Amino acid sequence: MAPPMIDPALFDQLKENIEKDGSIRKDLEKIIEELNQHVSYTQGVLTKIHSTPRSKYPALLAQVEGGIKKELETTTRLSQFSSQYPYYKYNYKWGRTLQDAIATVLLCAWLGGMGSDSKPGEVGRLLTLEEVGEVFGVPVNLKDRDAFHITIEEYLLALISVIEDLSRLAMNSVTLGDTELAVQISGFIKDLHGGFQMLNLKNDILRKRTDSVKYAVKKVEDVVYDLSLRNLIPTKEAQ
Amino acid sequence: MDEAPAPKRTKIVCEDTPKKSIDNSTGKTMSGFKRDRHGNEKRFDNGPRPAPKPKVAVVRNAYTPMFEQLRDELDAHHDRRDRLGKVSRDVTGLSKKIVRTINPDLPPQIQAEVDSRLAEISKLLAVMVPDVQGINRHRYSRSLMCLEELAEALTFAHYLKTQTLLKPEELSAFVEELTRKGGAAVSEGKEKDKDEPMPDAGNTPAPAASGDQETTTESDPKPAENEQQQQQQSKPEPPIMSTTEDDYFYGVFDLSGEMMRFATTSTALTGKMAGAEDERTIVEDMHELGSFFEMLPMKAGDKKQWEKKLDVMRQSVRKVERLGYDRKIRGSERPQGWVPDLTVDQPGEEEE
Repeated sequence: MAPPMIDPALFDQLKENIEKDGSIRKDLEKIIEELNQHVSYTQGVLTKIHSTPRSKYPALLAQVEGGIKKELETTTRLSQFSSQYPYYKYNYKWGRTLQDAIATVLLCAWLGGMGSDSKPGEVGRLLTLEEVGEVFGVPVNLKDRDAFHITIEEYLLALISVIEDLSRLAMNSVTLGDTELAVQISGFIKDLHGGFQMLNLKNDILRKRTDSVKYAVKKVEDVVYDLSLRNLIPTKEAQ
Repeated sequence: MDEAPAPKRTKIVCEDTPKKSIDNSTGKTMSGFKRDRHGNEKRFDNGPRPAPKPKVAVVRNAYTPMFEQLRDELDAHHDRRDRLGKVSRDVTGLSKKIVRTINPDLPPQIQAEVDSRLAEISKLLAVMVPDVQGINRHRYSRSLMCLEELAEALTFAHYLKTQTLLKPEELSAFVEELTRKGGAAVSEGKEKDKDEPMPDAGNTPAPAASGDQETTTESDPKPAENEQQQQQQSKPEPPIMSTTEDDYFYGVFDLSGEMMRFATTSTALTGKMAGAEDERTIVEDMHELGSFFEMLPMKAGDKKQWEKKLDVMRQSVRKVERLGYDRKIRGSERPQGWVPDLTVDQPGEEEE
């Protein structure tokens, strides 16, 4: 009697694996959904910067940091759970949400939040990828082992969201009478634009999103132009 | 507001107007190729093409070093992906050739050809191995489509020899063996050690129990008995190419198509249904394979691809059962070499 075409044990084994894979995905989705809620709350709070004068930033940023704290807690759980499995197998599931979370941290820090004892917060501070990793308490750009981490792409994509937000803030800060902030944003975005120009981008999501940086540059340049026409650019004492 | 004289700031804006590269004397655009100072097209026949100028005159600022570092990392990633993509295409091509070769029976000269193709594949796999260790295995899964094709070829060869379905462990073991042999062949050819020590699971402290392990197989990591009893230890622990369960599944999906083609041609050539004497024929095997996939839960992740493959497989099963029916009803009336008309079951003409 010849052996059967398919070993009966094989079916059970594969079925079990597929079901296990499915339940991992469900558990991940639960955590990601939770992270998503915290992120969207924090993003919501951050939209208030467009109508808040700089003198009232501290109170607003404290609220933002409260949201970020929840984001960090959930990210820690995500990190612990997903590190049991190959990172690149599932990372596409949380990529977008994590980017948004990183963006809230970057923006909050740029506005002067996320200060620590060693590094007090100040307006215009850009957290590096490594610093973002420290905030989240996870490794970055991991190569030597397979675990949860923040990738370069996620950092850069988050940075692009921050640039878009800041270009909007440049306009609104003028409305609020804070022309100095608009000029500072303009300089920051132009510097970053120079940085993005240096990347050799392939035809992927990063290239697509990077295109929006130049529109942000144009937007802030228009604001600065309007200001300079009317002699509203503040002179810098430092120069 | 202080009234500082600052109109010179407008300069920034003026610089931004787009300049088109139009040669006013001829009215033609100058793009397309470079010209020398006499206006003739520049040629680079002798000597390498000069390196292109940097895209932008980089004005360094506070963030430049950071972006330089990130750029280098991204470039390394793109290079790896491109390398894998190229080799993967070669392996796919060779795997497809194997499938075409063993379509009839397995006479010695064909076995020899399969072996030589496998030898080529094993060398190519060995080239890819350093780029897909540890965390990078799943990172470049999409660039490793060739493993599906290889799985298809190997499962098909296995079916033709034994009339059974190759198991995932056996596939993993076989591919690992291939890379090991390929690695040995490559390093012999180069006369030097090309395998650089890869970041291995054991070198780093493990935060989680299983997350750190190399993903040899997603199923059972125990070394299954190798179909070919060849033991060739080239290095103490050479890095190997691992196959995932997805590679296996999609390879076996494609196997159903190959079995359908094999059933059709062999019936036409021999006048009888392929299969063991007085026992199972390929029709039953197709049915079993079909039910196998129908009973499996759908694999989460890429549902579209799974559904598409499932659909193609269903059609293959129907074609073979139609073949079996035709053989039963009018088999004896047909001369040898007659090919059944399978167009009735083509999806376009089906009514359901």
